[in-house]
Amino acid sequence: MALGAVQLFGLISRHNQWLAARQATLAGNIANANTPGFKALDVEDFNQTLDTMGLSMATTQSAHMTSGATEAPVGVRQEDPWDVTHSGNSVSLEQELIKAGEVNRAYRLNTSIAKAFHRMLLTATKA
Amino acid sequence: MFDPLEATLQIGASGIQAQSKRMRVVTENLANAQTTGKTPGSNPYTRKTISFEDEVDDTTGANVVKVSGIDRSRAPYRTEYNPGHPAADEKGYVKLPNVDMLVELADMREASRSYAANLQVVKQARELINMTIDLLRST
Repeated sequence: MALGAVQLFGLISRHNQWLAARQATLAGNIANANTPGFKALDVEDFNQTLDTMGLSMATTQSAHMTSGATEAPVGVRQEDPWDVTHSGNSVSLEQELIKAGEVNRAYRLNTSIAKAFHRMLLTATKA
Repeated sequence: MFDPLEATLQIGASGIQAQSKRMRVVTENLANAQTTGKTPGSNPYTRKTISFEDEVDDTTGANVVKVSGIDRSRAPYRTEYNPGHPAADEKGYVKLPNVDMLVELADMREASRSYAANLQVVKQARELINMTIDLLRST
């Protein structure tokens, strides 16, 4: 049970890393909403990113360090634009803000789950 | 390893800065919409234009925006027949600035909309950071 929870914490932290990278990408889009010729970007889906990130490093001895702060290589692709303006810019502020809202909601969900599991572990250790 | 949320704040700040510069240029144009020359036949105020470009920040890899240049519009001036004006040429025509109020006001609206969107991004990034910090509290 405890191991499962620990993996859950790792998963949550990776998902939050991915969400933060996505928020940075969206911020770049919104900042360049009036830049001629700028193409809107989005990050790769989380399940694709998760495969490359790897949940844990293989350890053959107890003295080996487990995977610490693995750099999350979040891939970036061009997003499907709602509209392209005459200047060749494909950023739609509405689309970006909706996505930023999604990021916010998912991040809140993750932190709430982490908090709930942390509380649960504490209850188990204190009892 | 850089923090994407720090980068977000930086990108949002660059957007806010770019849009305020744009607002400044629009205001200059509006304020000088009636500014003529002083000597006969001289040119009046020329409308300023601002252009943006995206730039990759070296330290964070973030896609920030920056002002690539403030130029002068090449649109022709308006002319008005007013022989008594100090800037009137020998035929009595005065050159007026090539500023179109309607275009400037539309530009201003767009700038303020983009400014608000950037501000919203900064607010949301701050919220995400706060949610992470809250993990340490109340347990």
